[in-house]
Amino acid sequence: MISPLYIRAARAITPQDSFKENELHPPYASLQGNRFVYKEPVYQDYFTIMQLRRMSRLTRIGLVAAIECLKDAQQTSPDAIITGTGKGSLHDTEKFMHSIREFNEGTLNPSPFIQSTYNSLNGLIGLHHQVHSYNSTYVHRGFSLEHAFIDAALLMGEGTIQNALVGSYEEMTSEHYIIKNKLGYWKTDEEIRQMVESGLPISSPGAISGEGSFFFYAQKDRDGASLAIKDIRLWYEPDAAAITAGLDQLLADHGIGHEQLDCCLLGRNTDSRYDYYYDRISEQLGPATHQLQFKQYCGEFDTAGGFGLWAASRMAAKRAIHPDLIVKKGSAGQLRYGLLYNHYFGRDHAMYLLEFL
Amino acid sequence: MPAIYITGIGIVSALGVGQTAQLEALRSGRTGLSTSAHLRSTHGSAFPFGEVPFSTDELMEMVSSREHLHPSRLQALGALALEEALRQAAPAPAGFRQGLINATTVGGMTDIEDRYFDLIQPDHKEDDEIWAAGLDCATGTEHLARQFGLTSFLTTISTACSSSANAIQYGARLLQQGLLDRAVCGGVDSLTRFTVNGFNSLKNLDRERCRPFDANRNGLNLGEGAAYLVLETEAGLKKTGSRPLAQVSGFSNFNEAFHPTAPSPEGMGAYEAMKRAIERAGLQPGDISYINAHGTATINNDESEGRAIRRLFGDEVPPFSSTKVYTGHTLAASGAIEAVFSVLNLLNQEIYPALHFGQPMEGIGLIPLQDYKKASLQHILSNSFGFGGNNASLIFSRND
Repeated sequence: MISPLYIRAARAITPQDSFKENELHPPYASLQGNRFVYKEPVYQDYFTIMQLRRMSRLTRIGLVAAIECLKDAQQTSPDAIITGTGKGSLHDTEKFMHSIREFNEGTLNPSPFIQSTYNSLNGLIGLHHQVHSYNSTYVHRGFSLEHAFIDAALLMGEGTIQNALVGSYEEMTSEHYIIKNKLGYWKTDEEIRQMVESGLPISSPGAISGEGSFFFYAQKDRDGASLAIKDIRLWYEPDAAAITAGLDQLLADHGIGHEQLDCCLLGRNTDSRYDYYYDRISEQLGPATHQLQFKQYCGEFDTAGGFGLWAASRMAAKRAIHPDLIVKKGSAGQLRYGLLYNHYFGRDHAMYLLEFL
Repeated sequence: MPAIYITGIGIVSALGVGQTAQLEALRSGRTGLSTSAHLRSTHGSAFPFGEVPFSTDELMEMVSSREHLHPSRLQALGALALEEALRQAAPAPAGFRQGLINATTVGGMTDIEDRYFDLIQPDHKEDDEIWAAGLDCATGTEHLARQFGLTSFLTTISTACSSSANAIQYGARLLQQGLLDRAVCGGVDSLTRFTVNGFNSLKNLDRERCRPFDANRNGLNLGEGAAYLVLETEAGLKKTGSRPLAQVSGFSNFNEAFHPTAPSPEGMGAYEAMKRAIERAGLQPGDISYINAHGTATINNDESEGRAIRRLFGDEVPPFSSTKVYTGHTLAASGAIEAVFSVLNLLNQEIYPALHFGQPMEGIGLIPLQDYKKASLQHILSNSFGFGGNNASLIFSRND
């Protein structure tokens, strides 16, 4: 079991207007074309024109989210910076591939190459705040953010660090959308059009693409924290029985009864191929548990679980369930224990046991 | 903290496939650096590369069982190293919690970059486009994990040139705090046009074979390869009966926050990483018998690493060298490849000679060991420093 991680601050940049007030609130943004696209912050508040010119879209977004998270935590020098990203800065990767072809491997601008390296944002956060510390980046799809948290918990467990800035960042590009479309990740354009027109979800093979960057200030002690990650469990390509047994085991290991779960955030995304995992967990929950889901606001991406964790952090701060996330109201009047369960296209499954403090 | 034992090692580099091929080349001072035969790049003959001397098909043929693998250079390299490492360790008993902590910087880019521009045409169709998933770092890890039964716990780390050194550290922590019974840690990267042009755009590639710590060094040579280490605790050894080859006794990760790609000239990050790893091992600098330096032979790295070594060890610098003169800089694989070399150093009580060295850097005056040497080796320090200021150091100790 890992040491609990106490979350003192959480920040999100998402397709919604979630950043400025650090809140998920209406009016809610819909898709741009066939996918959810970032609502980007006002960068001039953070960087000079010269600095901006040197940074790409995702490094700007990630750095701003990290800066505000540290500000909310009233910290500038975390003991560790640990991130997760499935794809890193796709724009830079693509830009460099194009320039290799366009200039026939001649003299190339190195900036996109540098920023395409998965740990470049970590380095930039460290540089920006002059943080000399432990620094690592996990790049394993739906496990990326989770391993960043587990790493932080291990470092706290052995006493190397007292706190860590942990985050994730992801973007989609038009080229990568095409590639993932060929691999069967997305709903058809026609299905997406119908969903937008009717305002109703359509259960069909494929998800809707999205984006999001999330940063969390995690610490070993509970001072000033409103949410704790008590545990994280991961499964790769499990069957549904392994997941339901996994939930039982997780609760048993912590001496928590099913009826004590006050809320459960599910990563359901209307992909008819894999939603049954969420159905099984949903069926396993008792009448007390409020059932919530969040991908209707951010879409699907490698580290989309971060949206659920950010939403839980905000609920913890306000000590209230977010009404616009509820899909099945429970009878619980209090908010103490919560579950976040998310998987990435049926492969990478993550379950967080949360405690609202 | 419980001791961490290495019970299996596996390796593929420009020196060949497997430990024996490495030892033969290292002992005879034969470099693996030459022009490229398999890389599709206009730079293939302009620079020396540490290319694994087989085609992807040939490499795939060498893998004993490959039903879960894609026809991928990355996966072939990874599989060859993994099967060697897992063969050496004893089989895992039932219920033994095993994990794969992999590292890569480019994932399956080698397999994709030639077909990328077709792939992004919405109307271009191929019979099977599943290979396109390899654009992602996780794909290779997942296929390797399936092939070797390591799917119960898996992840991928990417911190540029320190990636697999960080994989080893993460694996050690997972064992020490009881989340796993066995961690298979390492990294793999194959040569790609993407990285060759990336390092060329940074003007970091030497047109000659690299000369680490030489006053006239002029850049690095890129390489490719894979290496994995099987790590277990003492409690695990009792269950498996694996024979410990060496120990991972210390490690550290330290970001110096100086510059996106260049190290600080005085080597602050390198100094802190080495110092903290030695402290964690409960040792003094004087206890280090040999340093496998990062030693890429770039102007910046060797100056900064050299100054850091001087600052930490003063006038008592132990024998040191960079084995990148044999393998080239294998990026995410380098930390694990050099970890395997360190285990070979310890097992055989010998140091492999530096090559291509002319004259020491001014003001630092460090001279790498240039002759094959039998030596009594107790503790080896291995450095891996990367882009973004990511520095990692590991200590490997003889298992007595």
